[in-house]
Order: sequence, then structure tokens, then C-alpha cells
Amino acid sequence: MTLQTPPETRSKQDSPAALLKLRGISKRYGDFAAVEPLDLDIFPRDFVAVLGPSGCGKTTLLRIIGGFVSPTTGTVEIDGRDVTKIGPEKRPTNTVFQGYGLFPHMTVRQNVGYGLRLQKKTRAEIDDRVAEALRQSRLTEFADRSVAALSGGQQQRVALARALILRPKVLLLDEPLAALDLKLRHTMQDELRRLHQEFGGTFVFVTHDQGEALSLANRIAVMNAGRIEQEGNAESIYAAPATRFVATFIGDANLLQGERHGGQVKLEAGPAFADAGPDGAITAVVRPKAVKLLAAGEGADVQIAGMVEDVVYLGDHIKCSVKIMGEQQIIVHLDAAIAPRPVVGEQVNLGWPLLQQRVVVA
Amino acid sequence: MSARTNILWAVVAVAFIVFLLSPIVLLVVFSFTSRTLTNFPIEGLTFRWWQEMVVTRQFWPSFANSLIIGSCVAVVSAAVGTLAAMGLAGMPKRRASIIMGALTLPVMLPPLVLGVSLLSFYVSLGLKLGLATVIPSHLLFAQPFVILIVHARMINFDHRVVESARDLGATPLQAFLTVTLPIIRPVVIGAALIAAALSIDDFIITFFTIGTGNTLPTLVWGMIRTGLTPSVNAIGTLILLLTIGSTVIALKLTRYRG
Repeated sequence: MTLQTPPETRSKQDSPAALLKLRGISKRYGDFAAVEPLDLDIFPRDFVAVLGPSGCGKTTLLRIIGGFVSPTTGTVEIDGRDVTKIGPEKRPTNTVFQGYGLFPHMTVRQNVGYGLRLQKKTRAEIDDRVAEALRQSRLTEFADRSVAALSGGQQQRVALARALILRPKVLLLDEPLAALDLKLRHTMQDELRRLHQEFGGTFVFVTHDQGEALSLANRIAVMNAGRIEQEGNAESIYAAPATRFVATFIGDANLLQGERHGGQVKLEAGPAFADAGPDGAITAVVRPKAVKLLAAGEGADVQIAGMVEDVVYLGDHIKCSVKIMGEQQIIVHLDAAIAPRPVVGEQVNLGWPLLQQRVVVA
Repeated sequence: MSARTNILWAVVAVAFIVFLLSPIVLLVVFSFTSRTLTNFPIEGLTFRWWQEMVVTRQFWPSFANSLIIGSCVAVVSAAVGTLAAMGLAGMPKRRASIIMGALTLPVMLPPLVLGVSLLSFYVSLGLKLGLATVIPSHLLFAQPFVILIVHARMINFDHRVVESARDLGATPLQAFLTVTLPIIRPVVIGAALIAAALSIDDFIITFFTIGTGNTLPTLVWGMIRTGLTPSVNAIGTLILLLTIGSTVIALKLTRYRG
């Protein structure tokens, strides 16, 4: 694992024009700011995850894109057209709602064909496209069943087919997998990836599950308290978190408080090192896997002494908790085959290279 | 509880039910009696009083009036009540319950008071009493039931289906016609039938607001002033059939609310 900032996959020059542009979008409900003013660009064929804890404003953001919530400020532009003031029925977006919102009084076939019927397509075209969509979603055998008779996973597929049949420029998904059990969730993840590839469209989904975001999306926007704290590809967000929140929300992280003064960082736990940046409080972020147990005489860029408090064997790795100065703990992931294993109560030296550490403000 | 007290309670319960239902049963039975008085013994059964009913002067106009008023009340209260219920369901709970209280006030007023005040209201406006005054008067007390019933359904309504419809290209009106209405249709029809039953059944408010015409209940009232013939029982039975019939259908339809 490299913790160096990987190159961003897109630079300003060679990127195609953004398909979806949010500019200065915000939403206030009275005194409460659900979404603080933010910008976001989404490019054609992107699979974007808007990731954040519940209440962070991610669903509001999705609903603003879909046209169900009008933003307090800002504009939504899709494919070069300002759609801010346009209702959901006229936007080139379709949505898979949380809970799906299937029409209970219609069969699977009627649900999937609903959008085309509204477009007043010919009967023959509707029949053909619906049959094709049902086949692609493996729903053909359920075509004439009531949607209430379907399982959660099948309902999910109906909702997807119903939205994708209209060939939206942007498909929006609100917590698409939240209602499914664990096993089904993995199947649906594969299904979503397959659909994204076959369909070749642009998908935006909101989720609170970092695993889901990492495994599905090629771009992740991490939201917290109405703000996008970081936007980028999965690797850059994991390896180079821009804020303390991003560091803790994606993956496990050890956080060490400290102070920066004139390019010199001094951690409360002891170690000091050079790191350019503004003066003030900082947090050093280091992933458990980057921390090594140092052998006698071995050195490292950052070193901390501590006492082993707990050792847990977890199959593919050993999780070792080390107590350092100031009652703080550092979690270390060690190779499962390490010998000799550290024992509880042992005094150890921990160390990691500067390259695998990330310093964020506050 | 011992077996004996159990039996005692069963007897009391049956006696109560018999007491509650016997007037209705007797009403129906006496409409078929072969004697001219509505009392026991019944010597034979006949359709004579039903035949007499249909040739009674005023029967057909009254019957027609009842049906016209009942169906107008059903249609108007269903349309207005559904819109009101949808509006209320979208409001904050507190405000909705205050407005609901105001709307259901006429139901809580004594019908006599309502009848008198409506009469003086129409007279002061200089309106000519007739069907045109009876129908809005009935709406006043039937409408709240439709609002309450449809509102109860709209509270549990999954609004995501409407959002889905909008998302898939439906205008607000199209979404209402193709999604919302089909889903709540049984409840709306049921509520309309209950409104019709309340209207067909009403005597007091009709009496004050109809002027010179008659509905079935006011016809019955007029007839019993000259004497209680089994024909009155026949009309009573007819009203019973109309109101119970529509209520039974209504209950069937509204049952799958929620």
C-alpha cells in the first residue's frame, strides 16, 4: 500500500466537459443548513458515490439533482443546460428511490413501461423495450406479477429497470442497497457494476457505507455536516484524506494530535518531524497497516514507544493495540505470520515512514 | 368465572342484541304482513304494501329526490373531500388537526340546530328552498366523513410512488391520475358511499331545507302523520336497503386502508 498521494485520474486539461455541474448549491430549512454552498462536477460515465453519515445532507443533495428539492442558492446544470428551475419530469435524470417507490397497483411489466407510456411511444416500441429491459434485469419470468409479490432484491431490479429504460443522462440512486441483507447486497453490487458497464451511463449514488462506496464508485465525494470535505478517486481519498473527518470515516485510522510551528510538527505523543504548512493544531493520520513494530536498533521516520495492551488474531492479520503516552492507543495491523507475536504487557517501539503519514489541519 | 355466570352473561348479551335488532327486523317483517296494522299476529305474507308503496302519490318523486341528492353528495364530497384530505395530509400535524377540527364541527352540532340555522341562512339570502339547498346542506355533514376517511389513507400513503411517477416523466396531474388516484380509489369510493348513505338517511336537515318537496325520509314522516300503514314499513325497508347496501360496499372497499 502506498500512502503517497496518487495522481488524480483527471487533470483539468484532458477532462471531457462535466456532464453534471453543481455551482454554489445550498439548501436551508429555516435556520438549519442541510447543504452548505458547494460545487461538484460529475463527468460522463462516472460512477460517483456521495458518502457520509446520516443527516449529512447527501440525500438532500441527490434530491436537488433529481429536481425534488429546489436549492436555496446555486444552479444545477446537466449536459450544458441549466435545469435548476425545471421539475423532475423534465430532467434527463431518473432516480432509484430508497424503498424503491414501485407502483403497487401495477405489474412488473407496467411499472417498467410507465415512463415510456407517458412519452406516448407506440405500443410496439414500448413492448419491445420493456421486454428487452426485463430480459437484461432477469425479470422476464416475473413480468406479469404484482410488484408486492417480489422479494427485496427483485423489487430493486424493477426499480433499476424502470429508471434505466428511459436512458437517463444521470441515474440517481438513494441508498440503493440499504434495504437488502448482506448476501444480497454483494450480489446487487456486482449487478450495479455490470449495469453501469453495459449501460455506459453516469451513476450517482448516496450511501453511508464506505465499503459500498469504495467497491462501486470510481469517484467519491465525502460529505459531512452539509459540506463536501473531499472529492476524488477512492485511492486518493483513502491514502490522502484531506480532513480528520475523512480520515476516520474511510477506513481505520490512528489519529495523533499535535502542533505545527514554523514547518516543524510536534506530536503530543512525543515525536517531532518536519512538515510544511500553516502554524496551528494538526492531526497526524496513519493507517494501522502502515505502523511497524520496530526491532531493536531499527529506526523509522516517526517513532513512538508503548506497551502492548491487546493482541487479536483476525485470520488475515493480527490486530495489536498499543498504549502510548497520554492514555492514547495506536492500533497496528501486523502480518498474521509474524513471529514472535507480541505479547500483552510487552514494551515495544512503533514506527512508520513520513510518506505513509498524512498531516491534516486540526 | 363459573360455568353458570358464563351462561348468564351469554343470555344477557343475546337479550341485548335481540333488543337492538328487533325494531329493524320488525320493520322489515311488517312490510310483508297481510293485515292493515303493523302489529302481531301476522296472519300471512303479501307484497300488497310494497305494491301500494309504488303507487303512492309522491313516492317516485321522493325516491328520485333521494337518489339525486345522495349521488350529488357522494360525487361532490368525494371530489372535494379527497382534495382536502390530500392537502391536509401534506400539512404539519398540528395545523392539520386544527383545520380538521374546524371542518368536522358540523358533525358535532345537533342536527336540529344545524337545520334551523341553515334554514334561516337560506331565507336571509333569499334562496328558493329545494334540491339546490338540500345538497349543500347534506354536504355540510357528509363531507367531513369523506375527509376523515381519505385523510386516514393519505397519512399512510407512500409518497415515494408519486415522486417516482414525477421522476419518470409525469406532470403533477398525470401522477395524480395514474398513480395516486388508482391506489386510493377504493377508499374514495367507499367514503363516497358512506356520504351517500348519510344523505339518503337524513331527515332533520332535509326537513328544514327542502321546502315543498320530499325525500324518502320526509315522505315517511308525512305518511305516518295520517296513520301507520305497512306501506310506511315498506319505504322504511327500502331506505334501510339503500343505506345498509352502500355502507356494506363502502366497508368492503375501505377495509384495505393502510
